[in-house]
Amino acid sequence: MDKIVDLYLNIPATRKKWENFLAKRGITNFSSREVEVIDHTFGLFDDQNELVGTGSVAGNVLKYLAVCNQDAVAGARFNQLVTVLQQYLFNQNIYHSFVFTKEEYAASFAHLGFTELARTETAAFLESGTPDIDDFLVNLPQVANQASQQVAAIVMNANPFTLGHRQLVELASRENGLVYVFVVATDASLFNTKERQELVKAGTADLDNVLVVSGGDYLVSQSTFPAYFLKSPAELIVSQTAVDALVFKNKIAPALAIKRRYLGTEPFSRTTNFYNQSLVSILSPEIDVRIVERFSTKEQIITATRVRQLLKTDQIAAIAALVPASTMNFMLAHQQDLQKRIKEGMNINGN
Amino acid sequence: MEIKTVGVAGTLESSDIQIMVSPATGGIQIELDSEVAKAYGKQIKKVITATLTDFGITSAKIKATDKGALDCVIAARTLAAVQRATGTTDQPKLEVLQ
Repeated sequence: MDKIVDLYLNIPATRKKWENFLAKRGITNFSSREVEVIDHTFGLFDDQNELVGTGSVAGNVLKYLAVCNQDAVAGARFNQLVTVLQQYLFNQNIYHSFVFTKEEYAASFAHLGFTELARTETAAFLESGTPDIDDFLVNLPQVANQASQQVAAIVMNANPFTLGHRQLVELASRENGLVYVFVVATDASLFNTKERQELVKAGTADLDNVLVVSGGDYLVSQSTFPAYFLKSPAELIVSQTAVDALVFKNKIAPALAIKRRYLGTEPFSRTTNFYNQSLVSILSPEIDVRIVERFSTKEQIITATRVRQLLKTDQIAAIAALVPASTMNFMLAHQQDLQKRIKEGMNINGN
Repeated sequence: MEIKTVGVAGTLESSDIQIMVSPATGGIQIELDSEVAKAYGKQIKKVITATLTDFGITSAKIKATDKGALDCVIAARTLAAVQRATGTTDQPKLEVLQ
């Protein structure tokens, strides 16, 4: 009978054995950014004490899953490992999980109750458990006769909400019957998720046809698009942005009758540029993608990055030209707290 | 009785069934994943519904991933999951399985 054992990858011999096992099965990316985020790893050992399977958990994402099916009933080891990984998550009250896997393994996960959200030529993205994407979509506000309206969407991190964001939303509000503003839900920015969402709400309160909602796990989240939050190699960004764009196209846009998506150009962010290109190539022509030039004041273009730098260097007065009054008031009221977060090591140069 | 949180029981291994119970409104909704759904889907849902009803549940969302479980296993896993979801595992209501 096979037995499940905890694997501690900080032990060099274990790490080596684990890497060899995975490498033989075609998983070869052991970069520290992939391995360091792992919370826990399990190994499956047979009667001869040989490693015959392994799987890991990072947040609510299943990773590095591989089994050897020699001398075993097809699928049995795989099912046993997925059960163990899920139970590890259940014990932490995490009932919703994701997996990125090679396209050829998507069916194996589908047999275990996973639902496919997106599929590219090389990768598949699936979810399992509850609340799932249907629950997410059902809980989003809708208006009467939404299907017959011109509905548009904008996704923003808004860290914090600037006049640049405001003008983009204003433009979309003028050109459409209804606008969804999805605020990135992952809490990895200077302004936390609640603050960002509230500042977007406050900054767009006067626009009647704008709905500010959370992007949940499905729009630029840590689960679907981790490269957004960390410096990443180009091919990784391309594959992750493709998945993000496909989830939007296959699931989110049809459910909300979204026919248009607005993107702001991001002159200083390579990741955002890749993301924008990916969105254009995947969403068009079904969804009308409109790339809008970054807005600027007389002296400079407006970016949230600039706002954070001014905050860091204590040039608070200069921020007033870049953000709406609601954001400015919040920053004045919480200046010390925000500056403390920067001092304590919060990265402000990312997105 | 009311479902308070998510409760799970069972595995994805052969002859077992994994049952995930979560809060819902408007009746018992079962999402079943089974290779034998064509032949036994109706019976599996019947056992799950009967177990929940006997326990006093009128509304719940159920995700069931079946790997060929017998009726007695389906009932036992459903009971375990719903007791976890209602925070009542300290009072096992085994008579529901009769």
